[in-house]
Amino acid sequence: MVKEKDYAKPGVETDDTEIEAITSKEVEFRYDEHLVLSDVSFQIKRGEFVAITGPNGSGKTTLLKLILGILQPQKGEIRVMGYSTRERDKIMNLIGFMPQKEHISSNFPILVRDVVMLGLGARKGITKPTKRADEEEGIQAIKSVGLDEEIWTKKFAELSGGQQQRVLLARALAIKPEILLLDEPFNGVDIPSQNKILDLISDLRKKGVTVLFVVHNVNPLLHQIDKIMLLKGRIVAFGRPDEVLTDKNLISAYGASIPIIYCEEGYAHPVYSDIHG
Amino acid sequence: MPDMEVSEILTQPYMLRAIAGVVLIAINASIAGSFTIFRNVSFLVAGASHSALAGAALFILLGVYGFPANPLIGALLFAIATAIIAGYAPKEETNTAIGISFAMSMSLAILFISMIREYAAKVWSLLIGDLFLLTYEDLYLMTFVTFLSLMIALLFYKAFLFISFDSEGATAFGLNTKRYNYLLLSLIAVSAVMLLKGVGAILVFAMLVAPAAASNELASNLRDVFVYAFIIALVSGFVGIAISFHFKVSPGAIASLLATTVYFFSLLARRFRGD
Repeated sequence: MVKEKDYAKPGVETDDTEIEAITSKEVEFRYDEHLVLSDVSFQIKRGEFVAITGPNGSGKTTLLKLILGILQPQKGEIRVMGYSTRERDKIMNLIGFMPQKEHISSNFPILVRDVVMLGLGARKGITKPTKRADEEEGIQAIKSVGLDEEIWTKKFAELSGGQQQRVLLARALAIKPEILLLDEPFNGVDIPSQNKILDLISDLRKKGVTVLFVVHNVNPLLHQIDKIMLLKGRIVAFGRPDEVLTDKNLISAYGASIPIIYCEEGYAHPVYSDIHG
Repeated sequence: MPDMEVSEILTQPYMLRAIAGVVLIAINASIAGSFTIFRNVSFLVAGASHSALAGAALFILLGVYGFPANPLIGALLFAIATAIIAGYAPKEETNTAIGISFAMSMSLAILFISMIREYAAKVWSLLIGDLFLLTYEDLYLMTFVTFLSLMIALLFYKAFLFISFDSEGATAFGLNTKRYNYLLLSLIAVSAVMLLKGVGAILVFAMLVAPAAASNELASNLRDVFVYAFIIALVSGFVGIAISFHFKVSPGAIASLLATTVYFFSLLARRFRGD
């Protein structure tokens, strides 16, 4: 097990990338009698960028919830920085989470400040009053995702889709996580905003932050990620993008042949077309 | 009575109780009403207030059979039960669960009332309500519950806001979302019951939801939603009392009419503002 002293301090650069950020051993999960995931074993090293992908119902979101400790496997075990996900209090301080924008309800005048401070408040004690220093941390987080400080007092609902995603990213980063989990970060976001988010996340690599993306379309990430995990109720393939994105693996996951095109840099891009991921 | 001096009218005990009732209703409309809008559970207010009738009827029935109890306690228990059922149901089925509880409670209410016909008026009075008929006992209970709601809302403000904005994120950030959801829904249900004696089950929806819905359209931040909701409910209540006193109509109905009218004007205002 990784000892506490082995952790790099948040935001401090480190070469110690051999520490396993997440390990999963023979994990099985069922909703009632329905088997969602079986025999899921993998290791993600500290500082790695990993995309988790697969068709609808393949278990992507369930795996995310298992890593967060929201769900517990019926068999096997997941460890985050050496801690079992059953020790939620410990792992919560290590993980920053960015939810799907579609799951958010902003039909009331919640401000950017409120959104960011909710994340910090949850970590520092939800019933404790907000301190000026906490607010400074929040503003720094907003600046770190390339947004102006003026946005701090704007209504969240009035921002563009890309700006909203960056605010949610700032909320996740404000707690200085060791691991960042992003659930469909590019849904409803235009391509320039996608690129901005990707540039920001790429900067985290220098700080040794481990990043997991749950995406139905892996293409926007292909040039940035180290590994892809292809799911279909189990791990179909896990490794470098060129190892995973093969005709055989894609047929195994999606049940149909998906054309692959190669970009100038030599990356294989699956053309999902009407295959819904 | 209309030829009485205003100062004389304002010192009448029933008038003072009505004014105090309006202030308490406005506080509930601000706290519970705003969170009802944030959490998007408006139907719970209608469901809980009507379920409360069954609870009141049951406790009156128990009284008839030698087990005396305050009907408002029964009303509170049934309203909280509706809130718990709403919280237990999957998110996409919340309104269905509230609707079924509503229907079941009304069936029970009518069943209990048919067993105690001579006391039925007591239950029906909760359906209509009257600010001028509030008793000191009603006000004490309303004050206690309103104070409790205020304290809970202040203590768990951030948690309630987090689960309303982003339930999934709140869970991921380590909040016990289920527990806070039950607490928030119960707070809303209890507030709905507190308004029963004043405006009646039929109009609770108007007085608890409309002021907050209107302020939600007009406010530029969360604090203003609470402040505007309080002001709209308070002014609607006071105008309702004034008009009803002179024209001998229901104060709750006038207040609710005003609060709902403000909501429609707030929609227009937002449209003209181009939001």
